[in-house]
Amino acid sequence: MGNLFPRWTNLLPVKILVCLGALGTAVVALAWYSWTPKFTRVGYMPQQPIPFDHSVHAGQLGLDCRYCHTFVENSPHSNIPAAQVCWNCHGPGKVKSDSVKLEPLRQAMDTNSENYTGKPIPWVQVHETPDYAYFNHSVHVNRGVSCVECHGRVDEMPVVYHAKTLSMSFCLDCHRNVDEHLRPLDEVTNLAWEAKDEDANEFYAKIAGKGGKAEELKEADADKTWDEKLLGAHLQKSWNVNPPTDCAACHR
Amino acid sequence: MRWFFLVLALAIVTFVVALGPRGAKFSDPPFELFPDMDRQYKFKSQKPSHFFEDGRASRKPVDGTIPMGYSAPLNKEDGVPTSALDFSYGEGYYNTGLFGDYFGSGYPEELTLDQALLERGKQRFQINCTPCHGESGNGQGIVSKYWLIPPTANLQSDLVKALPEGQLFWTITHGKGLMGPYKGTINVQDRWAIVAYLRALQKTSATTAAN
Ligand code: HEC
Ligand code: HEC
Ligand code: HEC
Ligand code: HEC
Ligand code: HEC
Ligand code: HEC
Repeated sequence: MGNLFPRWTNLLPVKILVCLGALGTAVVALAWYSWTPKFTRVGYMPQQPIPFDHSVHAGQLGLDCRYCHTFVENSPHSNIPAAQVCWNCHGPGKVKSDSVKLEPLRQAMDTNSENYTGKPIPWVQVHETPDYAYFNHSVHVNRGVSCVECHGRVDEMPVVYHAKTLSMSFCLDCHRNVDEHLRPLDEVTNLAWEAKDEDANEFYAKIAGKGGKAEELKEADADKTWDEKLLGAHLQKSWNVNPPTDCAACHR
Repeated sequence: MRWFFLVLALAIVTFVVALGPRGAKFSDPPFELFPDMDRQYKFKSQKPSHFFEDGRASRKPVDGTIPMGYSAPLNKEDGVPTSALDFSYGEGYYNTGLFGDYFGSGYPEELTLDQALLERGKQRFQINCTPCHGESGNGQGIVSKYWLIPPTANLQSDLVKALPEGQLFWTITHGKGLMGPYKGTINVQDRWAIVAYLRALQKTSATTAAN
């Protein structure tokens, strides 16, 4: 009887283990990298029926977000503007009214156009939370959370894309450290806002309320750095902001 | 062994190249790992519905009912309920800016004229009107420079100063000439707030318009 296991088989089990280990590590690493919203969602940039450009309208022309997303302060849902809103500027005799890019708008609005359908423009939704999670724009926007925190610098985007993950950990990261993310209410739609734009005296006057504590507050902060965190902490205190972290707040 | 690692490395590289790095732009709908209850069959804002004939998920209120958030009309003749978020196309001076067939002047009694209303009016004016009419209402807003047919009306002109409040309200609601209607985006109360602010703006000179 010959040698059933030749000499080279001595190392075989080790080799198989090493190979399996390497394969397993590779699969885990790839899944780690690509099975999260950071990968599956960020960068989602669907083709829109009209190549609508936020960097022109919100950036260059300086239109306020609320000119179009009118109900973001009043409603859980931030609306996409009706075609009438575009028509106010792009109607006949107005801005670029003959542009080919605006053909879907004319189909929706221009009763004289031969292609008139009267149907709404079929915009493609970019950001969409799963239906088992509850999200509300107005609570956030009325508490000094800016659009930029969740949507990125939309006013610099020629085409809107998904800039943040909007995953559960993203929501909770802010809910747990909310002071870094708050700003004065009139700056919510100013995506470029920074703490150094804020005038110290006005700011303290705003948060001090009736008691006239502005001077005291200012003195107490004299040697602190004037940054978003400091301002946010003041705002959090003066508005008594306390975002929920219990499951039932978002999964209701 | 050597071959195995070579093949593995190749597989990883093709995988990464095919999928791209994090944050790369793509246009197919995002992949949902566990799509269990992500997309439920329910009605959502601004979404179509296959259930109703007209294809809309948003329904109009049934006759004789009042939507949540609206208050009941004070008396039956007033017709449509009013609330802070009202877009109603109801009757009465408050909702139309008209007395009978004529534009009214002065403010409706539903309104309290105070600092808060003016602040609100200023904010709404700067959102909705400044793009065309300019910060001070002089008709030199940034968008007016792009218009094919100038000019955008100068709200500081004697002509507009002489218009009754009801007509200003009506103009915001229905538009005028080249100006589009804003009845769909500005609610009734905010329209009056804008009118009040515009009046204040006209009183002060164009340079000190900010207050
Ligand atoms: C307040 C006025 C205003 C509103 C409202 C507005 N736009 Fe514009 N839009 C402009 C101006 C001004 C330009 C031209 C910029 C330029 O010439 O560089 C423009 C340019 C465009 C262009 C590029 C046209 C071309 O041929 O280059 C498109 C497309 C467009 N807008 C789509 C829209 C859509 C869709 C809406 C509605 C959501 C909308 N706009 C609402 C003022 C407006
Ligand atoms: C002239 C009108 C207009 C203005 C002003 C405007 N938007 Fe938009 N916005 C649109 C339209 C139309 C769409 C839908 C088409 C698209 O996604 O590009 C949209 C889409 C978006 C989306 C993506 C929505 C989705 O489907 O998930 C975000 C986020 C957004 N806007 C944020 C902003 C912010 C922030 C501002 C203020 C800096 C702003 N918008 C100003 C018209 C406007
Ligand atoms: C706290 C995070 C957060 C902030 C702040 C925020 N958004 Fe959103 N936004 C979201 C999420 C989450 C969604 C997806 C909602 C859904 O699935 O209905 C969304 C969706 C949208 C949409 C698309 C709605 C649709 O159905 O097409 C628009 C437009 C939008 N946001 C505009 C804005 C504007 C304008 C602001 C600032 C005034 C703003 N958002 C501030 C998180 C935020
Ligand atoms: C940048 C900060 C920030 C982010 C990001 C954020 N939130 Fe919030 N959230 C807040 C603040 C501030 C409040 C208001 C707390 C208060 O009023 O006391 C709040 C309140 C809430 C509430 C309570 C609303 C109510 O009716 O009481 C819910 C629900 C909520 N957030 C859900 C979400 C979800 C879902 C996400 C992720 C898509 C999210 N939030 C992301 C800051 C944030
Ligand atoms: C601030 C709001 C918020 C709170 C609080 C919250 N969640 Fe979530 N949760 C979300 C959002 C938003 C998602 C959707 C994430 C996504 O888009 O992938 C989510 C997703 C999940 C999922 C994933 C489901 C899936 O199929 O991927 C589970 C499980 C979950 N939540 C459980 C919990 C539990 C348990 C708690 C309490 C400890 C909790 N959540 C608290 C907002 C919240
Ligand atoms: C898209 C640009 C645009 C916007 C935004 C706009 N307007 Fe106008 N408006 C015009 C133009 C153009 C005219 C001149 C109309 C004509 O005579 O054909 C006008 C005319 C007017 C007039 C009438 C003057 C007269 O001679 O009777 C009033 C009043 C007025 N606007 C008020 C407002 C108010 C208040 C707002 C904000 C809610 C506003 N407009 C927003 C473009 C605009």
